[in-house]
Amino acid sequence: MANLESLYEAILKGNLEVAKAVTTEAIAEGIDPQQVINNYMSRGMEDIGQLFEEGKAFVPQLLMAARAMKGALELLKPHMTGAADQRIGKVVIGTVKGDLHDIGKNLVASMLEGCGFEVINLGVDISSEKFITAIRESQAQILCLSALLTTTMNYMQDVINALEQSGIRGQVKVMIGGAPVSASFARQIGADGYSDNANAAVTLAKSLLSA
Amino acid sequence: MNIQLETKPDFNRCMERVEAWFNREIIDRAPIRFHRHNAEYDSVISNSGHASLKDRWMDAEFQAKSFLDSVKGKLFNAETFPVYMPNLGPNFYAAVHGAELEFGEVTSWCEPIIQEESDLSKIKFDKENPYYQNMHALTDAALEICDGQFLVGYTDLHPGMDCAAAWRGTENLCMDMMLAPEQVKKLMELSSRHFLEVYDDFDKKLKAAGMPSVTWMNFPVEGRLHIPSNDFSFMIAPSQFDEFALPTLQSEVKTMTHNIFHVDGKGVANHIDSILSVKEVRAIQWVQGMADDYPVMQHIPFIKYLQSGDVAVIVDLDKQDLEAFMKEISPKGIFLWVATDNKEEEEAIIKRLLTWK
Repeated sequence: MANLESLYEAILKGNLEVAKAVTTEAIAEGIDPQQVINNYMSRGMEDIGQLFEEGKAFVPQLLMAARAMKGALELLKPHMTGAADQRIGKVVIGTVKGDLHDIGKNLVASMLEGCGFEVINLGVDISSEKFITAIRESQAQILCLSALLTTTMNYMQDVINALEQSGIRGQVKVMIGGAPVSASFARQIGADGYSDNANAAVTLAKSLLSA
Repeated sequence: MNIQLETKPDFNRCMERVEAWFNREIIDRAPIRFHRHNAEYDSVISNSGHASLKDRWMDAEFQAKSFLDSVKGKLFNAETFPVYMPNLGPNFYAAVHGAELEFGEVTSWCEPIIQEESDLSKIKFDKENPYYQNMHALTDAALEICDGQFLVGYTDLHPGMDCAAAWRGTENLCMDMMLAPEQVKKLMELSSRHFLEVYDDFDKKLKAAGMPSVTWMNFPVEGRLHIPSNDFSFMIAPSQFDEFALPTLQSEVKTMTHNIFHVDGKGVANHIDSILSVKEVRAIQWVQGMADDYPVMQHIPFIKYLQSGDVAVIVDLDKQDLEAFMKEISPKGIFLWVATDNKEEEEAIIKRLLTWK
């Protein structure tokens, strides 16, 4: 019988091989995929995220956990049908125009994906037009904007203005992150939230979806 | 040193203050540089007439002349020195081993060149590399016209983990630490193998031209100044820093007389005890970061911790925090960096520093 507790441990410790092996067993035994995700895999991601916030885990461990989560999810996907075939939500993410930094943005993308979001990662140096096109095409509920430079952070305001002008601001929640920005900057530019690390970004995204 | 600069008539006295600071001594007041860390990234050169950004970055005469124009007729107060640092961006050292630089307005970067283990053979240090040759041209052009006006330094060199991250990509390097630690060690060794050769090449040229040792922090010393850093390390555990980064740091600083470790924010500060365990590191530059990590007062316990050790400390702060900072902390071993708006403001701050005990 599949030891699902060891699946939780495998995600927490970033052990892809064990995560895939236990997931394969769970599939063979016909265990409900949603139960596997909610009760074991997501819990592993939440706990590694918590350890990260407490300074007890670091980026390499987070990336390993996200990799194990993704690997196990890939195995479950073909077995998720109907109501079970649901990601938590859709996110478009990118680093704003003029800025080429992507470490933090990619980490947030990995964590969101690992925690059950569908993530459309546009990359770096993204214009407001590209963000808008991606939101329209994907029907994403959340837009994550990243910037690492004081010279590019103000472009976040331009993106929000462009969302308003194009009439889709009401359809999408905007989260921002990056070294030079803060919660007060988020309020100032009319964003819906700010997070200063990848784990907090997942928590924020979930809360924005349920708001 | 016998250096006469129109732009810096009190050059020798200011250099003495810097040397005293390295020894955690004070001649008459704590040294101060009127500059904010990274302020150079705020300004963009426009209308240079170059066909591409790359052409502009690599145009040695243009860069030297632009710098001369920017300092001519100016007077540099306190420990703010007129220094030209030939610059192709922070990945220059990675690029002279075979990576290609992409140039933006204010910085440059390179795309990772190591996708798999066999790609390690792509890493080859080459003095004929066009960026390396251009760095000599940038240095030579500045040395041609600097006399009496400004100092010429050596470029910003990032061997070690930041170089390894440039070659391998940040996420890959993080994963390698977990999945292929021996490969990371190999990469770290490659990333520092030619550092001294590069350093010595430019050090020799600059010393032959009568220059002191100076680089991007813009204050000179007699001897061999080096600024080790590891911005990548904000992401990793202290145990990973010790395993992968510490050995290269130890070899990097060995032949230098003045090492200042650039601690870029709280994440890098996680490794402070390991950094301080390297006895050749004589000073720490503390950069508190932006947004919620600003202003400096929240970091007073960390600065006091550094002060209690055997190192000198550079602190970057807002002028409005200066008075509160001086009340909280003694000037021993402190070098202040403060951005100001005018000469009068600078003179008032210098006067105040004379009474800071």
